[in-house]
Amino acid sequence: MASPVAERNAPAPTPQTKGEARRRRRFPWFVYLGLLPLFALLGLLAYYPAASGVYHSFFDWRPGFDSPFVGLDNYRTMFADDLWWDSFKNLGYIFLVSVTVMWFFPLLAAELVISLKSERLQFVFRTVLIFPLAFPGVVTVLVWSFIFDPNDGMLNQALRGIGLDALAHNWVGDPATALPSLLVIGFPWVASLPFLVFLTALQNIPKEVYEAASLDGCGRLRRVLSIDLPLMAAQMKLLFFLATISVLQFGFAAYLVTGGGPDNATQVPVLRMISIAFEGSDWGYAATLSSTLFAITALLSGALTLIRRKENPDVRAL
Amino acid sequence: MSERSDVLTTTATATTSRVSARESRTPRGELPRGGGDGRRSRSRGSRAGQGAVILVLGAIAVVALFPYLFMFMTSFKTNQQFNESYWMPTWPLRLENYSAAWQQIQPYFITSILVAFASIIGTVALASVAGFLFARYEFVGRRVLYGMVVMLMMVPPVASLIPMFVLMRDLGLLNSMTVLILPHIASSVVLATILMRTFVGQIPQELFDAARIDGASGPRMFRSLVLPLSLPVIGTVSLLTVINVWNDFFWPLLVITEDKLRTIPVGLAFFKGQNATEWGPLFAGYTLASLPLLLLFTFLSKYFLAGVQGGLPGTGK
Repeated sequence: MASPVAERNAPAPTPQTKGEARRRRRFPWFVYLGLLPLFALLGLLAYYPAASGVYHSFFDWRPGFDSPFVGLDNYRTMFADDLWWDSFKNLGYIFLVSVTVMWFFPLLAAELVISLKSERLQFVFRTVLIFPLAFPGVVTVLVWSFIFDPNDGMLNQALRGIGLDALAHNWVGDPATALPSLLVIGFPWVASLPFLVFLTALQNIPKEVYEAASLDGCGRLRRVLSIDLPLMAAQMKLLFFLATISVLQFGFAAYLVTGGGPDNATQVPVLRMISIAFEGSDWGYAATLSSTLFAITALLSGALTLIRRKENPDVRAL
Repeated sequence: MSERSDVLTTTATATTSRVSARESRTPRGELPRGGGDGRRSRSRGSRAGQGAVILVLGAIAVVALFPYLFMFMTSFKTNQQFNESYWMPTWPLRLENYSAAWQQIQPYFITSILVAFASIIGTVALASVAGFLFARYEFVGRRVLYGMVVMLMMVPPVASLIPMFVLMRDLGLLNSMTVLILPHIASSVVLATILMRTFVGQIPQELFDAARIDGASGPRMFRSLVLPLSLPVIGTVSLLTVINVWNDFFWPLLVITEDKLRTIPVGLAFFKGQNATEWGPLFAGYTLASLPLLLLFTFLSKYFLAGVQGGLPGTGK
């Protein structure tokens, strides 16, 4: 991703002509000294942990004691770990929902905002719609866990209020509804990156295109399908990859609301990894799981970078 | 909203009026859809259409914001008021819920603010120097070293959670401020360096030439030229760091067991356990915990959104 823009715009500060001086400049000790603190920190807290995770995945890692080498045993355990693979099934489900339903509402909202004639109203609605983004994620999740509360929760109260007592139940305590409930958190998901990306993309479509279309008698729905969506293909692709990566990290809502239960219905890889390390104290196996997650994410991000190199540079994995 | 978009819309409006002027000049019948009558009825239809759009958007906004409104409303109730009037606000407002909640979450607040502050200082210090050096100096290994920083964008922090925890335990840093601050710096500094480098790379060369002619050294140029000019990036980076501190959950959950050292996210989860069904104080606590980010969003929404989209203010609009 080394952007060539900066390089072209920024030649070295002193274009020395003398060959000798130039050669000296190429190893300016003060530059390396200036970069040293950054790389010391990254070395200790970024490169080393990643390497140590991969290395220790081949050991029966017992931090503080001696850790025997076990070869591929941990990886064999992983392949036989049904819970681990089931948690990926949940991820698949989460992913499907997050690139369909969770995009529908943001897209709808973006289309509606862009349809407003008044600039001022556009700005007001954009601001109001993304306002929930300003709440800390924990607060959103905790408020939603209240909404699902079996006794005092808003959802059951509303159902009882309109006489649908039969429907009221323990949403997050029932394996059948636990995962869908988790995904409903933040409904209608408009305060999100997809909304901002869709809106920006739509705002950047030249008005002339729409005028030409409307002269040709193109209706609103037709315009969405034949103009907006094709023109947003690049952004869609980008969001699609960002979604894969962020879904892989899904976990904190599940931890707070269901703890991975009931009956592992909301088990996800991150929670599984944490419980193996901190409840099972099986650090070697946890390192294996973490290295696997690491490898999958790195692969996906690599693909993303290749795509992004050609396109919109101002969106990044969250 | 950038000026550019305004310009764009003005030209667009100009085009529209030109088009409609031409349309009305066209004799009726030549353009089946462009006739005067058709246009008038269309504009009446579009006014109704605008109303419908506003209505639907309003409905979406209400649905999205209702949980937070409910939280705010309930934060002023006792449990009795809560049971008697579930959906409606009640009087008197129980402000003591807030003092009760503040008592409990105050330590989390202090920790979070200290952690955010220290992380911002560390991140900005490291990233601004590195960004400047990467953007304005030529040296052997520049591309490789920069590539090594960029590469880290691809690694989500959660993937190295386990080895990082063991490392911190081996260093004996669990249950300390350091264990909260350092990883934040290490993760924020990556994007910060990239943003700084891009930004400093776009500062016109003439400024640096002029400074050099005036006899400014590298550090002097950094202090008097680069730092003041890159305030927007520093703003974005700082905001991003605050957002991260207010959202990071698993790391503080795992490395901190001492109550005083909990940050807001973990503290709130713990606070919830303490107040099981005392909804009033519980929601007062949630509201208090949200305040800093809400204030930042209100006053710095441009930087806030730039931070969310991972860019510079203006680029994401």
